[in-house]
Amino acid sequence: MAKPKISSDWMCGCAGCHMSLLDIDERILTIAELTDIRATPITDLKEPDESGVDVGILEGGINNTANEEVAHRMRKRCKLLVALGDCAVFGGVPAMRNFFTIEEALRRAYVETESTDSEGKIPSDPELARMTRVRAIHEVVPVDIFLPGCPPDPDAIFYVLSELAQGRKPELKGDLLHWR
Amino acid sequence: MVNVTIDGKTIQVPEGTTVLRAAEQAGLKIPVLCDHPHLLPFGGCRLCVVEVEGMRTLQPSCSLPVSNNMVVRTNTEKVQAARKFILTLIFSDRNHFCPYCQVSGGDCELQNAALNLGMTHWEYQPNWKPYPVDASHEYLVIDHNRCILCRRCVRACGELVGNFTLGIEERGASSMLVCDVGVPFGESSCVACGTCSQVCPTGAIIDRRSAYQGLEKKTESTASICLGCSLGCGVNVLTRDNRLVRITGRWDAPVNAGVLCKLGRFLPLDEDRQRITTPLVRKDGKLQPATWDEALQAASLKLKPLAGKNGSGVAAIASPRLPVESLAAFKQLFKGGFRSDTVTTLEEGASTLAASALAAETGPFETDLSALEAADCVVVLGIDLAVEEQVLGFMVKRSLPSNTALVVIDAAENGFTPLARAALKPAAGAVNVALRGLSAAIRKLGLAKAGTNGKDAEAELKSAAEQSGILADQLVYAGGMIAKATRPVFIYGKNLNLADLKAAADLAALVGAGKNLIGARGAANSLAAAQLGLDQPFKRNGHQAVYVALGDDVPSQRLIQQLEGTPFLVVQAAYSSRLTAMADVVFPVEMWAETSGHYINIEGRVQGTAAALKPAAGVRSNLAALQAVAASVGLSAEADWQAALAERKAPVALALS
Repeated sequence: MAKPKISSDWMCGCAGCHMSLLDIDERILTIAELTDIRATPITDLKEPDESGVDVGILEGGINNTANEEVAHRMRKRCKLLVALGDCAVFGGVPAMRNFFTIEEALRRAYVETESTDSEGKIPSDPELARMTRVRAIHEVVPVDIFLPGCPPDPDAIFYVLSELAQGRKPELKGDLLHWR
Repeated sequence: MVNVTIDGKTIQVPEGTTVLRAAEQAGLKIPVLCDHPHLLPFGGCRLCVVEVEGMRTLQPSCSLPVSNNMVVRTNTEKVQAARKFILTLIFSDRNHFCPYCQVSGGDCELQNAALNLGMTHWEYQPNWKPYPVDASHEYLVIDHNRCILCRRCVRACGELVGNFTLGIEERGASSMLVCDVGVPFGESSCVACGTCSQVCPTGAIIDRRSAYQGLEKKTESTASICLGCSLGCGVNVLTRDNRLVRITGRWDAPVNAGVLCKLGRFLPLDEDRQRITTPLVRKDGKLQPATWDEALQAASLKLKPLAGKNGSGVAAIASPRLPVESLAAFKQLFKGGFRSDTVTTLEEGASTLAASALAAETGPFETDLSALEAADCVVVLGIDLAVEEQVLGFMVKRSLPSNTALVVIDAAENGFTPLARAALKPAAGAVNVALRGLSAAIRKLGLAKAGTNGKDAEAELKSAAEQSGILADQLVYAGGMIAKATRPVFIYGKNLNLADLKAAADLAALVGAGKNLIGARGAANSLAAAQLGLDQPFKRNGHQAVYVALGDDVPSQRLIQQLEGTPFLVVQAAYSSRLTAMADVVFPVEMWAETSGHYINIEGRVQGTAAALKPAAGVRSNLAALQAVAASVGLSAEADWQAALAERKAPVALALS
């Protein structure tokens, strides 16, 4: 059996879930041995193989059209999609902004914060992605495995990866299952 | 008894037991959200559904009584699927964002229920409509985004506290938790007892002082008692890194069964007085830090020659918040050792003198708090339970919906007057006249259960009405209400003098409730102080030195004035105050949460406090400080407090071992 190919990407998150992934420490060697780690934000290859991967991992929620593209691309190219972390699973902290309009959120971020002033400009380049409400991944594309946590525990991440590497579908429960 | 089989286990339970409680007895855990062991079943959240053989649909176990030979299954696939679906709907009803909720990670019953069912995500997204956050209250915050409408808070506010501030308006998805008729929490009739925050299963009602200071699993919990008044409510003192985080009511406590008042739950967290951590000695007119040896030497140098000098020696005054061990040692040292004629407490017997005097004549005449549970009439005499002994007030208020008649008799303004069926406000000093008037009214009505009914009562009633300034009709109305009750209880407070108290005891005897009195006593150990005879008025007069065992108490303005110009003043205190600033020697001692010792509550119950915090290195217990002073002057502070308490007849039976 060929090693399962794994690819990951991040969207509207803080990269903390990928930090937690690295936090599995030397066990990452086991994962590297059992799997073929392809495109990730922390490897050179930036997009999952067009020929497809076995496991796609996405961190972060979906807050603009660029994220939507990343999510659709990953979904198209992977067999099993893992939502990694609370933002991917629920929307997480960025989803707080859903309580406000996008205009209010932008004004707060670029004009009203303590580090900006009234001369602050809201970026309006037409090439920029268009902002949307913050959504959990499964609101945009179907998700197969939910791995919640802010960030998910390294042990939980290792458990999920090692199960997938060995061709099993992980079932999170007990100590491995927690949200923040 | 009926037989019920739950998950294959057959047990016998009393008729009327709910399936949920029966399952608990069988050692099975059914998840719940709206259910709370101290509240009546409600059946609102449906998380506790179970399969019952012969019943078409799933049944809520919290509100379903068992019937004989019922067969229940609590954890089938169908049940689990239903529970997951119920939680999915609850999560999507409002906006539950675990990453920024203070109870997330162990303290949230909603999250725990989801994790126990293995839920990794929500099928449906949250509501996204922003719900209001009411932060208008001094101690509590309501975040409606996190409310699951379980009504635990509403039920606790009514069933346990009798305050009925919280309620639900509208129906279905429009249902909202409201305060009174929809006013901000901070402007409502809330008494800030915080019971709602203690029962809230989510982070919808949190208290401002302890929010985001750590989950319960990260704090240490010490079972202790509150020293705020004479009730002695059971508390859990939650600490983290030797710092006070939160105080909760102990559900298994015999006095309060989980409920606390603002004084017990919140005020201790607002402590902002400056702590004294090292002994201080006045040198060159200034208080300066010293070692315990230096301070003891400075104190003994002046105190020792004064031993035995009656009237011109040492006067001593202690806080009635000190543990009984310290009070007994205090008495032994100053009364027994120094032979001082002025050894008392800060209260100077204010809330106990009348009761002690009556007890000396008649022996115990009071009952315990459980009498309130069965009471069908409560007569409140000379105490405002909205301010003092508030949890006792909650016990009275929560009994009102079950048709308990409340009669308030107080010469002063009383917060319970609006709740009373009859409120009598006699002229100042005429409470006993009003009580005699009530007795006369009862005899006139021919309702006296002891003593004589008679015509002479008419004249007595008339004169009582005139002297007390209360209409005779009112006395007859209230008297009839008290006399017709089968189990009346009389609660009295420190505004009653001996004549008032005697009149109250006579009235109680007249209606056949001879010992159904409950006396509120002010401070945590006022009863113990009274039993030790530490209840005389304090006068400095010609005393050459005064010793104040203040503990963590607040010195009154009056005491400070009296002690001005004292030739030699020694204070043992936890906090710096104007009194310690006047002192010649200051010994640093423990505050309440650092103390372990015993307290005698309102009903004679002997309860222990446990130290939840570790004091700074230089701080000693009140007892150790007194013992050190005793040793430095060559006297003894050794005392058997149990024996000392029993030397005097008490108003209520003391539960001494």
